[in-house]
Amino acid sequence: MQRIRVRYTKEGRVRFVSARDLTSVWERALRRADLPIAYSEGFHPHAKVSFPDALPVGYASTGEYAELTFAAPVDPGPALQALSATLPPGMDILVYFEVPDGAPKLAKMLEATMWECVLPAPDEAGDAAPAQPLADRINDLCAEIVEATELPVVRRRPKGDKSIDVRPWLADLRASVRPDEAGRPTTILRAIFTNDGPSVRPTELYEVLTTYADGDLTQPRLYRRVSQGRVEADGLTEALSGEHEPLAPNRLVGAA
Amino acid sequence: MTPRTATPLRPTVRPADDLLAAVHAGDDAAVPPSCWDVLEPHLPEVKKPAQYTGIEHNTSPKGWGDADVRWLLCYPDAYEVGQPNQGIQILYEVLNERADTLAERGYSPWVDLEERMRADDIPFFSLEHHYPLWAFDVFAVTLPHELGHTNLLNALDLGGIPIEAADRTSDHPIVLVGGHAAYNPEPLAPFIDAAVMGDGEEVVLEVDDVIRAWKREGDGDREVLLRRLADIEGVYIPALYEPRYLDDGRLKQTVPTRPGLPHRVPKRTVQDLEQWPYPKKQIVPMTEVVHERFSVEIFRGCTRGCRFCQAGMITRPVRERRPETIKALVDEGLRNTGFEEVGLLSLSSADHAHIGDIARDLADTYEGTATGLSLPSTRVDAFNVTLSNELARNGRRTGLTFAPEAGSERMRAVINKMVAEEDMLRTADVAFANGWRHIKLYFMVGLPTERDEDVTAIGELGIKVFEIAQRYGRKNRVTVSVGGFVPKPHTPFQWAPQDPPEEIHRKLDLIKQVISPHRGLTLRTNDPEEGVIEGLLARGDRRVAPAVRRAWELGSKFDGWHEFDTLDTWRQALDETGVDLGWYSYREREGNEALPWDHLDSGLEKEWLWEDWQESLSEQELDDCRWSPCYDCGVCPGLDLVHDTGYQPGLLAGKALPVVATAATPVNERPLGGNAGLPTAPARIVPAATSEGDEA
Repeated sequence: MQRIRVRYTKEGRVRFVSARDLTSVWERALRRADLPIAYSEGFHPHAKVSFPDALPVGYASTGEYAELTFAAPVDPGPALQALSATLPPGMDILVYFEVPDGAPKLAKMLEATMWECVLPAPDEAGDAAPAQPLADRINDLCAEIVEATELPVVRRRPKGDKSIDVRPWLADLRASVRPDEAGRPTTILRAIFTNDGPSVRPTELYEVLTTYADGDLTQPRLYRRVSQGRVEADGLTEALSGEHEPLAPNRLVGAA
Repeated sequence: MTPRTATPLRPTVRPADDLLAAVHAGDDAAVPPSCWDVLEPHLPEVKKPAQYTGIEHNTSPKGWGDADVRWLLCYPDAYEVGQPNQGIQILYEVLNERADTLAERGYSPWVDLEERMRADDIPFFSLEHHYPLWAFDVFAVTLPHELGHTNLLNALDLGGIPIEAADRTSDHPIVLVGGHAAYNPEPLAPFIDAAVMGDGEEVVLEVDDVIRAWKREGDGDREVLLRRLADIEGVYIPALYEPRYLDDGRLKQTVPTRPGLPHRVPKRTVQDLEQWPYPKKQIVPMTEVVHERFSVEIFRGCTRGCRFCQAGMITRPVRERRPETIKALVDEGLRNTGFEEVGLLSLSSADHAHIGDIARDLADTYEGTATGLSLPSTRVDAFNVTLSNELARNGRRTGLTFAPEAGSERMRAVINKMVAEEDMLRTADVAFANGWRHIKLYFMVGLPTERDEDVTAIGELGIKVFEIAQRYGRKNRVTVSVGGFVPKPHTPFQWAPQDPPEEIHRKLDLIKQVISPHRGLTLRTNDPEEGVIEGLLARGDRRVAPAVRRAWELGSKFDGWHEFDTLDTWRQALDETGVDLGWYSYREREGNEALPWDHLDSGLEKEWLWEDWQESLSEQELDDCRWSPCYDCGVCPGLDLVHDTGYQPGLLAGKALPVVATAATPVNERPLGGNAGLPTAPARIVPAATSEGDEA
């Protein structure tokens, strides 16, 4: 059985597809692409497509992963190209990796996750500060957060709220300025959390940040999972491609 | 045609007049603003947001400027219910295949999103490009039953269209309804511009032509357009007809108010389904819906003649697809969609003349693959087990469903469900002997002439089937499912009184008492209150319309959902508008009474329906005319159909019913259903069935 791991995106409208519906979206795309995906045994066979973790509905992502098991060998390049073409718009396969026998589990390779919070472009919301000063201000808050020994986050539960400390899992965070889709300078906050603890959502981090700003902070318009892999200086090494994903890309854009 | 560039305007529920005029212009139409940008921020906050994104596989890529006539096809219920609807899927493809026509789809937003849309002034939108409803030329709504009427009014209101047709201008869409409930659109008459009865494939294209020509002329007189639409066969324009009433409140007649209009508007019938092999590229949902499979309609129409069944009456005659066409549709459809299941649809799928060959051929093709096959047939016939065995080669033999509909032989004679108790028990025996584990039985209570012993007979039949189940395994299960009967127009029971919900409750309790000592035998019942609105709207006349409007104003919507108890709201609306529920629903109508749908011709002669109603009351059965001589129901004359039927004229004298299908090639020698002891053909061909009917 040939196993292939892929990194794919979930951008645009497709980000409203829930993790629950993801399996059938992939299974049907695999059938349309006429690829020999393997099926589980039993009376209700399921295509062997597995996803290491669920992305909250509505989040964008360039860092989704899946592992596909084929019943017959495929030529990965053309096969995955055909698959990517018939997946919904916004869901594109970026990188693949053929899994050798004895390779560690996919989840083990995804040691850490880089998230980003995309703030509204300055002319998008009346209260948004211009991009660079806002990034500078957030970076000041980030410096405080990195120094903090404890970052309590409140989780609402039916049986009463529970507070957990997310500081041990926060590897690093930084704000920068980047042009958005329309080319307007936009403030982005990127943060890396290690995956060996409770899964921390970027919304929770932003809540903490807002507390540090005494409640006076522009709220993000979009959350994105950027990529997953291993923590390294100023960023993360992507699990399948080995490429470096920096915490603060294009730092100079918009600074002029 | 070069459309103006998209106006960067924010879409609103009630657009400015000049914008409305600009998007409805005959040529050089402005592109309406998309609702996506204003909708998107709400989506993370609502349930199942994927239903609103409209990027499902096989949606049409056409945009506003690619067409000059634009349709919004709507199923007035939640996406998860409406998305699989075959009618919409077919018309979507048929219309979009036209170079200058655009069709998009719309469904009722769930209440959480609607609340946000109203607060944020976001109009009812199409899924593909999120264009506002008010921008389209036609708002075409399918009404598979009556419980979407309030959702239709809600969609109009949320879509910026005046609720009353009389208040619309030439810059508003034509509001057109179709589907089974459009065979009596009178309770909706003031709110719709047109109703289309019958098969939609051909008539939508004719409507499209008329609208295109009218737009090109550009004089913009809506009345001219409506008058021209009325000239299309199958199109009924309520504003051009007027009901007249007798002093005692009964209807006298519904008559055309202009010269040249037909006194009875005929339904449309597609004579050769082979020319309409749709859907080919069924739209694939990206979130859970009620039926997730590729559906192929193997034939249209039904002539079993069950007297309660509106679908069986109004979709006559039977028109079969050829086995090779069905095979090609399945193969192509699976490739185009990636669905893991195929459904062979029709009103009684086991009745296709070549169903055995079709089932075997598909089972051979897909054996050992992950593709499942299903045949939603509820015929009480051991042959159904044969077919189910055949189609379940890939899967587990779990449940089978049968619909005896009534518990006693007498009651089944009244409703013309020609099933003997012996048939039911033998079928159950064959099913459990072949390894099936669960049988579901469908019944109705509240049928005409019903006595308490007919009701308790439902429980007793359930017990007998359960005893058979137990002989083959202690874990085998039987479920008895009972619903309340709602009389429908264009059926022999259109004159029958409906049981009030209290009476249905009492009858359900009788069944409960019979069944309760038998653990393992499950009783499922529908909420009797749900039939109240359905029954009123099914047989209501134009005077019920103010109550529909009032009920909607008071907040009724999603009337068919358990989540919303709208009956109290409806009762208040009926009180306020003076509509007497008892008079419309619980009274037996007389033979000479004019009915609100008399001017709408389903093909069936009213005299024949009356005769069948009278025969029903004397417990006389009537054969399926596919296998017996014609009894002149009125549908076939005038249709140009190829005659080829299972009925052999030498056997009995009489006219034959049109059925089209060629012989399928025999595929292999393996016994059908994997067991040589199983029947290889339906029980119907035995001429004894006819003599049985004569004896009754």
